[in-house]
Amino acid sequence: MIKKIAGKIIGLIVILLILSFFVFLLLYLAPGDPAEKRLTSQGIVITKEVLQAEQERLGLLKPFFVRYGEWLLGVIRGDFGLSFKDDRPVAAKLAAGLQNTCILAMASLVFSLLISYPLALLSAMRKDRIADHIIKVFSFIGNSLPNFLISVLLMYFFCIKLNLFPVIADGSLKGLFLPMLSLSIPMISRFTRQMRSEMILQLSEDYVTGMRLRGVKERYIAVNIIRNSLGHVITIIGLQIGTLMAGSVVIETIFRWPGIGKLVMDSITSRDYPVIMGFVLVMGTIYVVINRLTDLCYHLLDPRVRT
Amino acid sequence: MKKRVIAFLMSAMLIAGVTGCGAPAQAAAGAASTETAAAVGTGAAEATAAPAAEGEKVLRTAASFAYPSLDVHKEYYGWYTSIYGISEALFKMNENSEAVPCLAKDAVADGNTWTVTLNDGVTFSNGNPLTADMVVRNLKRAAEENSRFAYLSDFTIEAVDDKTITITTPEIYPTMKNDLATPELGMMDLDSTTDFDNAPVCTGPFVIDTFIPEGDVTVKKNDNYWGGDVKLDGAIFYYMQEDDPKLLAMQSGEIDCYNSVSSAALEVYNADPAQYNVVSIPGARLQFYILNENRLDDAVREAINLTVDKDKIAEYLSGTVSPAVGPFSTNTAYGQVTVPPVDTDKAKELLEADGYKLGADGIYEKDGEKLSIDIAYYAARSLDTLALLIQEQLAAIGVDSTLSVYEDPDSTYIATGDFDLALYCSIADKSGDPLYFIDSTLSDGGYYDCGGFDDDHCQELIDQLRYEIDPAKRADLANEIVQIAIDDNAYGYVGLFNHTTVLRNGVSGFAENLPFDFYGVSAETDIQ
Repeated sequence: MIKKIAGKIIGLIVILLILSFFVFLLLYLAPGDPAEKRLTSQGIVITKEVLQAEQERLGLLKPFFVRYGEWLLGVIRGDFGLSFKDDRPVAAKLAAGLQNTCILAMASLVFSLLISYPLALLSAMRKDRIADHIIKVFSFIGNSLPNFLISVLLMYFFCIKLNLFPVIADGSLKGLFLPMLSLSIPMISRFTRQMRSEMILQLSEDYVTGMRLRGVKERYIAVNIIRNSLGHVITIIGLQIGTLMAGSVVIETIFRWPGIGKLVMDSITSRDYPVIMGFVLVMGTIYVVINRLTDLCYHLLDPRVRT
Repeated sequence: MKKRVIAFLMSAMLIAGVTGCGAPAQAAAGAASTETAAAVGTGAAEATAAPAAEGEKVLRTAASFAYPSLDVHKEYYGWYTSIYGISEALFKMNENSEAVPCLAKDAVADGNTWTVTLNDGVTFSNGNPLTADMVVRNLKRAAEENSRFAYLSDFTIEAVDDKTITITTPEIYPTMKNDLATPELGMMDLDSTTDFDNAPVCTGPFVIDTFIPEGDVTVKKNDNYWGGDVKLDGAIFYYMQEDDPKLLAMQSGEIDCYNSVSSAALEVYNADPAQYNVVSIPGARLQFYILNENRLDDAVREAINLTVDKDKIAEYLSGTVSPAVGPFSTNTAYGQVTVPPVDTDKAKELLEADGYKLGADGIYEKDGEKLSIDIAYYAARSLDTLALLIQEQLAAIGVDSTLSVYEDPDSTYIATGDFDLALYCSIADKSGDPLYFIDSTLSDGGYYDCGGFDDDHCQELIDQLRYEIDPAKRADLANEIVQIAIDDNAYGYVGLFNHTTVLRNGVSGFAENLPFDFYGVSAETDIQ
């Protein structure tokens, strides 16, 4: 067992090393100079001497391998370096952003599951009937709408028309509601469609036919279907968490949510390499760990996988 | 069953593991507050400014940018401390882009030496007087902390007495007053400030109340303001990057004013004058293009300039830009140049006289080669729209063009000169003087001197401009220099971004008449 865990950890380190090297290389090759971005952020022209001094200060004139090596040594020592944009520690910036994104992502995930699971079950149990058609239409619409449009529409109805929430939300639960809903609507639509397919598959299984022949009540059949589709749900969650962690930048910007997506977008714009590299490492680790946990859950839930 | 329990626990771990990572950071952020009442944090729970107390006159506004520090001298943070009404410089810019007295009442040049005299009764918010010695220390600190002001270390800056400072420069330095008006050279009480990032002690009409790095900022009235009564009790700056939420917040009454209004929002505000007051003036940010003299001959460059219709471009950009004549606003003394009117017939005649013949496809060609130019641009500040509009206008007279979009203009087409027509946007007038922009575009070896423009007489005039002290003569020189470049068809000055402010009726004094981006609330800002 210890050998297995050690193997997995070594695997993770290798993946992160390869990932970090290629991302560092891509950033190195990409056009754009962080020193210049920093000095001209307000559209003021600078002299070549000032630019060179700043490049030197940020270590941008060193060869690629020296820069990568220095960054890697820092990470090994637990030092992610300082942001090129404002000289603040990268670790602190990432921690603050990650914390806020986690809150938003997990609230959306839980909310989406609570809504989509019963909807999917209802849709599957009432396949090709009116409830199923309505759910399918709504999930199609929810899946098609872009995030920014959903956000602005929700803001308009809830804040201006219904006057239930402020446009400028605070950090309270009330402030979390609209960004969470904006993030959840497409997710509910996606989850409902995916779970419905899985549940329809379960409904066609012999054990369901057997239960029905034995006169088992539909609600007990539903319980069995829920239980047997859990593995599929775990897979969906595993895939979605990564997307949620890195992909809620639009929502974060519109709702002023200080998450990691917005931080990274700003960092990419300003060529803030240390923050981008720190993000890649953190997200890489989260992706790999979640995938491993998903595999493990799937393994434990489905006896067929074990055999 | 046991396996299922384990599976359930693993699933719970999967969720809890990720959500759990937030807890310590939030606690840390929650614990972070300074002794100077500047609440500092980055957690979601603290991402919003404290609301105003009942009955207080507090202005609420949206800020498109937010910075991690309030250190006046570092980076561009001084722009924001100035917008927040916290810091002031020795001089300030007025509506006509002139440097007028603020903390200093005068600055007089005698050869290489400037003598700056401080205003009477200037004090910091803690009551300490602003002394000449403190000014000297501030300027020296700015030179150390900000590489854009490192040149100040070449100057000899001395306090003569409590109110007088002399600045001796290696050469005659005509733009000293303008330099001293830049917000990064704002004054801080260096002895009393213990936390430069979160609670600088300055001279402005407001003092920091709560500051969330890269988030919202709240300021309150400086009861010791040296400049007299401050009309507001405070102001809240909500950090809002997106245009739509700003519009919705204005409609819901959650903010009272903001600037950099989008064209879509402008339509809404203009349709309701009973509620909103929109003030739009040409700003200092210029959209322009460089014509490559190494690749395009005189006739082609002139034909391009006669074809590009700035009025139509400004109309298309629906109120966000004003058509430019030269690089500077025509409200300034150094913005008095002329450009020939759009004349597409003359443009065609010029091309035909140069040997071009209109091909069957409607594109001019010479010696079997089509007249096709490469337009280089980057997708920011509406330059992408500009590129398309210019392409369309040129196609109408028979000039073909290809668009080349770059992520970063400075390290690509500006550095290599690999373009026929290069679009760019920058601040042309950073502090009420033409030298900065002229020097960076028209001077030999200037930052944007990448299109092959070379004129000995122009360079002579630029050298004169460097040392001319008299503002009127400076304006004349600047006009002559820019006119040479216009007549040479080296550049095309397309539009000046409007400084557009929307204010709820009854709100006034939010720097709506100033063309600079670094002013906001002042002692005069008021809500009726």
